[in-house]
Amino acid sequence: MELREKLKILSGAAKYDASCSSSGSNRKNTPGGIGNGASSGICHSWSDDGRCISLLKILFTNYCIYDCAYCINRVSNDLPRASFTPEEVIKLTINFYRRNYIEGLFLSSAVIKSPDYTMELLLKTVRKLREEYKFNGYIHLKAIPGADFSLIARAGRYADRMSVNIELPSKKSLSLLAPQKKMESILTPMKEIGLNIKENREERKKSKNLPRFVPAGQSTQLIIGASPETDYHILKLCEALYQRFNLKRVYYSAYIPVSNNPSLPQLRRPPLLREHRLYQADWLLRFYGFAADELLDRANPNFNPKLDPKANWALNHLHLFPLEVNRADYEMLLRVPGIGIKSARRIVSARRTGSIDFDDLEKFGTVLKRARYFITCKGKYYGGIPFREELIKERLVEGKTGLHRQQLSLFDDNSISDIDGFLSETVGGKEG
Amino acid sequence: MIYYIYDGSFEGLLTAIYEAFYHDVKPDMILKRSDYQENLFAERVEIVTERNKSDRVYNAVREKISSRSLRKIYYAFLSEIKGVETRIYHYLQLGFKIGRKIDGHLTDDTVLELNRISNKVGLERHRLLGLIRFRRLDNDIYYAPIEPDYNIIALLAPHFSKRLADQNWVIHDLKRKVAAVYNREEWVLTGFSGQPGSYAEDEAIYQSLWKDFFKNIAITNRKNSRLQLQFMPVRYWKHLIEKETT
Ligand code: SF4
Repeated sequence: MELREKLKILSGAAKYDASCSSSGSNRKNTPGGIGNGASSGICHSWSDDGRCISLLKILFTNYCIYDCAYCINRVSNDLPRASFTPEEVIKLTINFYRRNYIEGLFLSSAVIKSPDYTMELLLKTVRKLREEYKFNGYIHLKAIPGADFSLIARAGRYADRMSVNIELPSKKSLSLLAPQKKMESILTPMKEIGLNIKENREERKKSKNLPRFVPAGQSTQLIIGASPETDYHILKLCEALYQRFNLKRVYYSAYIPVSNNPSLPQLRRPPLLREHRLYQADWLLRFYGFAADELLDRANPNFNPKLDPKANWALNHLHLFPLEVNRADYEMLLRVPGIGIKSARRIVSARRTGSIDFDDLEKFGTVLKRARYFITCKGKYYGGIPFREELIKERLVEGKTGLHRQQLSLFDDNSISDIDGFLSETVGGKEG
Repeated sequence: MIYYIYDGSFEGLLTAIYEAFYHDVKPDMILKRSDYQENLFAERVEIVTERNKSDRVYNAVREKISSRSLRKIYYAFLSEIKGVETRIYHYLQLGFKIGRKIDGHLTDDTVLELNRISNKVGLERHRLLGLIRFRRLDNDIYYAPIEPDYNIIALLAPHFSKRLADQNWVIHDLKRKVAAVYNREEWVLTGFSGQPGSYAEDEAIYQSLWKDFFKNIAITNRKNSRLQLQFMPVRYWKHLIEKETT
């Protein structure tokens, strides 16, 4: 088969993986080598769905021995199949990289013959790319569940990031929709990779020239809407993954119907709004000091589609507001709807040179449209309406266009993190 | 009105600022020679660029204010926005008065405006680090045409000299008729208004592979052109292989 045909098949098969981030690695170029890492990540293009293209995202093969119901590559699905050779992957990567199309390679794969056999192919490809072709650009590599961990550990010495996708958020759904997969075979390599990353960091503190192991960390992906789990269940799972496995990122991927299997829902459209709310909540966990239990609970297990999770939380905790911006501490400022990390930092920093007026907030880029209902400036309330829950709620509910507008900024935060990266690069200090 | 007229280089601007601090006649405006229009009421002071004067300002900004401020005024200078030189002068007046604290002065309009301009330049630099496309020519030089809003070519070249260190490349700013030329050892900036040679044999192949990839990686159920446009404004499409309309 021609290379062109293979690329069509194997990039089309890889597109459902949401991750395309190239951040977190500052790998240096080597003498006579090609490429380096940019810690903030760089987007090279944006595809028609508005997602950032940073890496050459492909499957090594889409021949699969498994039959996961939610996946287009399942063995029972009738579709064109192809496999690359390691040399073909290398040729594409290097030639795309030299033309600055990409930041590096994201190599994933279906399971051909056996997990070990597949993992060996992936390992062979990245080893060759690094050692023989001296490629120092970004590499995100999938670890194949069920493969011998020694293979995964060896591959981790060449990769910048590794990921194992959980896909289905519970054991029950997994055994229903992916009967050949076991939750353990997914979680065990994640745990091991996490431990190896931690160990490697410790050891590198002692001897600097030790090779790195997965310096840009580990990520995973969950499919949203293919199975019945609630937002609360999903968020608790993610919180545990961040805390216990030391994950860098969890990606959420709205389920896109690919099968008539009766165990799968028949959706007309992928649940993009739900995916968006989960990304927002994920940010609140990682950067805003929220716990999953603060945002949802058993009685209220799903996000309100019309309110973003932070606004929802604030409305349920109105007794903590309005907040005086000239006195409130940083942690509380972060909890005001419309105030992000950047604004909160600016407020705290500007307070040192004098007290802040309402007009000043606008200059800091605070989105006053929502923040105004939750703050006072020098004791004055600028909400323009009485401080009552129903009235404020009415103003915060998002219309269709508003939603659309926001969706862009969060649904894959590459763009955001890259802008932050650039800000910290140019202006110094991490924003975000 | 007193106009300081300088040669358009960053050293020239720093020399003008040096003179402004030590001269009795303070400028109301600092202008590039090419931007100056004859004006009956203008009193013009011609600035002669002097390296030792510009160096002194350069070092003073770094030591007495901060290297962040130095980068900010350099980025702002590259914006080529009308009147930016005078803004830089006012910013430095404040900076030399209050030093490093200037970055916290977020309610001051001069500081805000300078931040805004330098951020815009920084954003375009960051965008183009990703959006530049090299084409391989038959003499094995990789050639990338650009037409950026701001004069950022010197901010792009260092990135590629580290990254694409083992290949010859040229980044060509068609608007300003300058090129950054790299020969696997170092890069230089030079005036250039010529045309690139013809493409290498494999160039067309990789271009079409890239176009295929670009098309295939999009999820059609999630089409979102507005989002695509926001991150990748149309004015950059002209030199993007994947957006070429042929
Ligand atoms: S193992 Fe992976 S590629 Fe194969 S069917 Fe399951 S999800 Fe799809």
